[in-house]
Amino acid sequence: MPRSKPLPAASLHVVLALLDGELHGYALMRRVEELSDGAVRMGPGTLYGTLNRLVETGLIVETTDRSTRNDNERRRYYELTPNGRLTAVDELTRLHTLVHRTAGHLPGTAPA
Amino acid sequence: MTTHQRALGAYRLLIRLYPKRFRDEYGPDVVGLLADQLHDEPTWRVLTRTAVDLALTLPTRHLEAHMARTPAPLVPALFGALALSAVVVGATVGRPLVLLVCIAVGIAAGWLGLTAAHRARPLAEPRATSAHWWKLLAAGAGLLAALIATTTATGELPDGGWLIAMISGLAAVTLLGAGIVLGIIHLAARPHRRAAA
Repeated sequence: MPRSKPLPAASLHVVLALLDGELHGYALMRRVEELSDGAVRMGPGTLYGTLNRLVETGLIVETTDRSTRNDNERRRYYELTPNGRLTAVDELTRLHTLVHRTAGHLPGTAPA
Repeated sequence: MTTHQRALGAYRLLIRLYPKRFRDEYGPDVVGLLADQLHDEPTWRVLTRTAVDLALTLPTRHLEAHMARTPAPLVPALFGALALSAVVVGATVGRPLVLLVCIAVGIAAGWLGLTAAHRARPLAEPRATSAHWWKLLAAGAGLLAALIATTTATGELPDGGWLIAMISGLAAVTLLGAGIVLGIIHLAARPHRRAAA
């Protein structure tokens, strides 16, 4: 079911970063930084506070299975739930619509 | 002991200020994340970002622990109240050193409040600037009320106090005026927005 209210910026960045698959905290932070061209750099409290809220609202789920991973044991992995994926796509559609409607203002682009 | 180890030690102490539930759940993760950041980025940049992160997330996590819904809109108000209190205390005491400290606290709290408000907003939500008219009106009224309360309570203000009172009064009148003008513009444009929607 699509959300009526847009996600706050931090939550939006996290769900978009998880669209390509599961990530642990630090990789997620780096992915958000990469997606935003370095404009969004999350601190530890912001990242884990956002993850905690997204887990509570059922948009992401922790997938850590330490027995089957060769990675560092302290890392916890997260991935989108089906509802989280729907929300991410819904947010992408909203942003796409916004860009489509305002792209005429970009330098070198003819107004629509 | 290296700078990184000292920074991590201090951070381990500081995260005790988070609510116990959050600390128990994510304590090792937040410290691990800071260690990774310190390994990959310049120390000063990571520590500056972490200090701001702590200042913003400590009240948020505590409010979250006592609320069912997201407390994000309350955090900017909390910092705004702190900034206003600092200005009032500075004006009331009137001593130059206290005044200087209060102004510094007021500026820092005001900046943190604006940052928290910016972070709580959805990304790229299209909204007319005039929609914020009531915030200017509320800020102006709040500032004026604080000013009247302070001058009534203290009776006679010292020289520095009067200067701050005059600046605050001017700021309050400007905020009220801007709020009224924007409010009129916003209400006048409402039929056009409805037609466009």
